[in-house]
Amino acid sequence: MTGTISKLAAIIMLTVVYSCGNSSTRQGNLGFPVADSIPAGEAEKLSDEAIADIVQNIASPVEIAAMMQSMQVPFSAEYLTPTQGADRLTTNFQKAVMLGIYGADLGYLNIYEKTGTSVDLLSTIKRLADGLRVGQFLDFETLKRLSVSKSNLDSLLFLSVNSYNKIDEFLRENNRGSVSALMIAGVWIEGQYLATQVAATHPDRVLRDRIGEQKIILGDMLMLLRPYRDSSDDYSSLYSMMEEISSAYHDVRITYKLGEPETVEEDGRLVMIQHEESLVEMTDDQLEVIAGISEKVRNKLISGG
Amino acid sequence: MKYTFAIISAALLLLSALASGQAAPDELVSRCVLGAGDNTTYLKDFRVQLPETASGAATPVYKANMYLMKNMKYRFSVCDAPESTGELVVAIYDQGKELISSYNQGSGKRYPSIDFFCNKTGLYTLWYSFRDGKQGSGVGVVCMIK
Repeated sequence: MTGTISKLAAIIMLTVVYSCGNSSTRQGNLGFPVADSIPAGEAEKLSDEAIADIVQNIASPVEIAAMMQSMQVPFSAEYLTPTQGADRLTTNFQKAVMLGIYGADLGYLNIYEKTGTSVDLLSTIKRLADGLRVGQFLDFETLKRLSVSKSNLDSLLFLSVNSYNKIDEFLRENNRGSVSALMIAGVWIEGQYLATQVAATHPDRVLRDRIGEQKIILGDMLMLLRPYRDSSDDYSSLYSMMEEISSAYHDVRITYKLGEPETVEEDGRLVMIQHEESLVEMTDDQLEVIAGISEKVRNKLISGG
Repeated sequence: MKYTFAIISAALLLLSALASGQAAPDELVSRCVLGAGDNTTYLKDFRVQLPETASGAATPVYKANMYLMKNMKYRFSVCDAPESTGELVVAIYDQGKELISSYNQGSGKRYPSIDFFCNKTGLYTLWYSFRDGKQGSGVGVVCMIK
């Protein structure tokens, strides 16, 4: 019941936010993207766009945190990236990467309901988003109010994740795929850092497998960054660092066990239990190396490298 | 002066029609997230608008790729826009093979959502289409089941 009320509040909140707020996201009559349409003059960029579409959901700012919470791993502020110094970020490259990194931290704070402490982080995120001209997708005042009141976690999670989705969508639709790629890379590297740090202190098979499975995602992450790697020294450096992480995964094995899915109907819902399985083979040494490189890359990025 | 008045009047009429008319996609997304249930956390939404199937052509489909992770439970919900003629259907594909659809062609039953207990991390494709190839608009919402 409480959840329903929370969700209802989320709806009202979001409706108010989008009714009163910016309307630039609405295109045409309803704002629905038309399937398979290519804006005039964009045909030559189709391959890049297609690549971006392939990997548009690489990293979620909340999934890793939710997994840690389900493992009953205690919250630790030590994992978070400090917000001091964010004002000194000058390039769009730095701002975009850090927007992703802070987005993952916001997901971590929100999942653990440490929302009262996230106001400072929200302010930093808002400044970075404004700097990248995507601040219109973050309703800072509502997010701040929800964070401080701690009353409606569902609304806060919805609004914050939805804001990041909208920023990503806007960037990709406005020929700023390079910025979107950096933000996604930031979300991913912070999620990877959190997961590997927690794995070192709270060994858990599921978390360990999740880290190993990033091998599958890393290939797409590199593909996402590849078109921009020669555009500047920053991109080139980031690409090399991601390649370094990818190399650490070289001997991690992912195998698949076949199985037929099971489908049932429960309370009017269709439920599918997948019995085909992905299996990870990763040694302790491999995990240690992956964790070390991931930490190095993340720390280099947050120090402005 | 007369023209200016006419243009302003037309603009106001248009704005009021937009304001009071069809549900905006954001509102529809919110409604769909609410319908997904208490025990869920929103992850992603897809806004779908497709034309009616042209004679002799394949049913229009909106495809979206999404990484799904092992040991996670996902809920894929679909919601139709109020003015939509067609009913939105979602199907989950893995490497070109349909795993499940929210519409059972055999029984003619359409489900508002699919719960998917993922055991294999990988890139899946979500196919959104409208039942019987009708024209329609709606949203698909993906949530994580807590």
